[in-house]
Amino acid sequence: MTTVAPGERLLPAIVVLSLFLPLALPDTVPAADLSVSSKTFLRYYERDLPAGSRNTYAPLYEYLSADAANLGGMPLAFHFYGWGRVDLSDPSGSGRESGDLGSAFLEYLHPRGNAQMKLGRFFLTEGAAVETLDGAFFKATTPLGIGISGYGGVPVEHSILDNTERGDSLYGGRIFFARAGFVELGASYLTEKGPFQGKDRELYGGDLWLRVAGPVELTGQATYNRSAREMASQRYAVRILPGARFDISGGYETYTYKGLFQAALHPAFVFPSVDTDDKVRSIFGVVDWEFVPGLTLEVAGKNIRHDKTDPGDASRGEAGLRYSYNEKKDVAGIAAAAVSADRDENEYREFRGFATYSPSKLRLTLDAIAQQYKKAINGKKNAYQVVASAGYQLLSALHLSGDLTYTQSPDFQEDYAGLVRATLELETGTGGKK
Amino acid sequence: MMRRAHAVNILGAALLALLFGCSAFSQAPSVPSKHPEELPPGRVDCLECHQDVSTGALKPYAAVRHSRVFIDSHGTYARQGQNLCASCHAPAFCQTCHAGKEELKPNTKMGDRPDRMAPHRGDYLVTHRIDGRIDPGSCFRCHGNKNDVKCRQCHK
Repeated sequence: MTTVAPGERLLPAIVVLSLFLPLALPDTVPAADLSVSSKTFLRYYERDLPAGSRNTYAPLYEYLSADAANLGGMPLAFHFYGWGRVDLSDPSGSGRESGDLGSAFLEYLHPRGNAQMKLGRFFLTEGAAVETLDGAFFKATTPLGIGISGYGGVPVEHSILDNTERGDSLYGGRIFFARAGFVELGASYLTEKGPFQGKDRELYGGDLWLRVAGPVELTGQATYNRSAREMASQRYAVRILPGARFDISGGYETYTYKGLFQAALHPAFVFPSVDTDDKVRSIFGVVDWEFVPGLTLEVAGKNIRHDKTDPGDASRGEAGLRYSYNEKKDVAGIAAAAVSADRDENEYREFRGFATYSPSKLRLTLDAIAQQYKKAINGKKNAYQVVASAGYQLLSALHLSGDLTYTQSPDFQEDYAGLVRATLELETGTGGKK
Repeated sequence: MMRRAHAVNILGAALLALLFGCSAFSQAPSVPSKHPEELPPGRVDCLECHQDVSTGALKPYAAVRHSRVFIDSHGTYARQGQNLCASCHAPAFCQTCHAGKEELKPNTKMGDRPDRMAPHRGDYLVTHRIDGRIDPGSCFRCHGNKNDVKCRQCHK
């Protein structure tokens, strides 16, 4: 029996409240700026089962999002996002149907100072918080540049483990100082009531964005897990943007398994899957250079060091070229990456090439990726996947496309999968969002 | 313990008084809730039109140009505020990857968009065993307590 997350118990009330509040406002419908997006996917694939039989899967997915802004002529908006699945053939997941409500919330954005409020289910990133929450959020900044934010509610969490309790409640806030174009410095606090390694989760966070001089900026974020009495994670970077076409960044990041994974509900992040005494220290660098209009070089590298010999240290380096053409409607790219590691089972190389071609209403794309593993996995050292897609803009609001995917990998001798996609975008008002 | 609780309460009250005693909100214009003009297809370059500092994010537009550097570190900027992001991206855009419960990989949903930086391309079922060993912190944000429906087949 699977336990019900506390957030799911509140969900019907939140949806009803969110849907009916805009309707209570006078003249809501005529003034509203509405956009609705529907993405329908029908997948088709087969799987051989150990008993020698074969299952056929045809899951039909609907992803629906709606955004209504300027409700009642006020700076009030309602946002909705959710998906559902129905299997037209063998069950592809746990049951023939599934779905999730990603967000459903009212948002008030004050015309001055970015003061705002949210009420409902929303994805929140604020200081130490990177959460989906059924609850409320507010944020305000004073003329002095000092600001405050706060949030509280029930965390929306999932676990693949049966009878695993999620967090009961989550609240926190952030105080910050911001001066336009120069600095933003924040301190945050988050606590979540729940059974995480026998304790609640309690985090203290700090964040910094500082423009040191001209094109040079420093960023930093650090989180201390008071429950685990460990620094959970730290990331510091320097970034240089000497022009509109060159961007380079380098930095250091570190995290401890005890501090970062304390609230994990996934068995892959807890003992015995991992040694919780391990600690990771990394240095990284990234370059993005558009050296010719439309042609961009991307180079990235990361050296990852563990305290424990298993999994050991590793380095990943990658380089790629992107070329945009056809008034930026199309892009082609090639990239290569290599991971070298202390242990053979952690080493691999990766090569990728892709291109898109969009003459008029037609759109064709091709994407190929190959991986070479140093140590064989299931007796194989190579994996390949090619995705070919063709689409057509049938109406100004309706785009139809289909993908064919071919895979050969340690998991698949040979696999063909198909996908049909229908995208409907309806909008009133002006302006754009993605 | 009581003394510490009092200190926290006094500090909180002082902070609130400071905040709302200073004529409440900053008078700087907020970021519009929606980008006032249609956005072109592909990776948008804010610097084609904006050269100054965003009144909402209070950072130069150059800092949020969607280069590979920014995309790799967008979480750092989002943790200081989502308003500027939300002006061009609906919540559904973020939740294509930052999902609570999801069954389709982002690159499956966006098979016709190979230009997008969608994670987990190829048969990532194999490669995730390696990436998960060498840098599990990069997996944790999205899969630690959410978005793990497909993991059940192997992780018990």
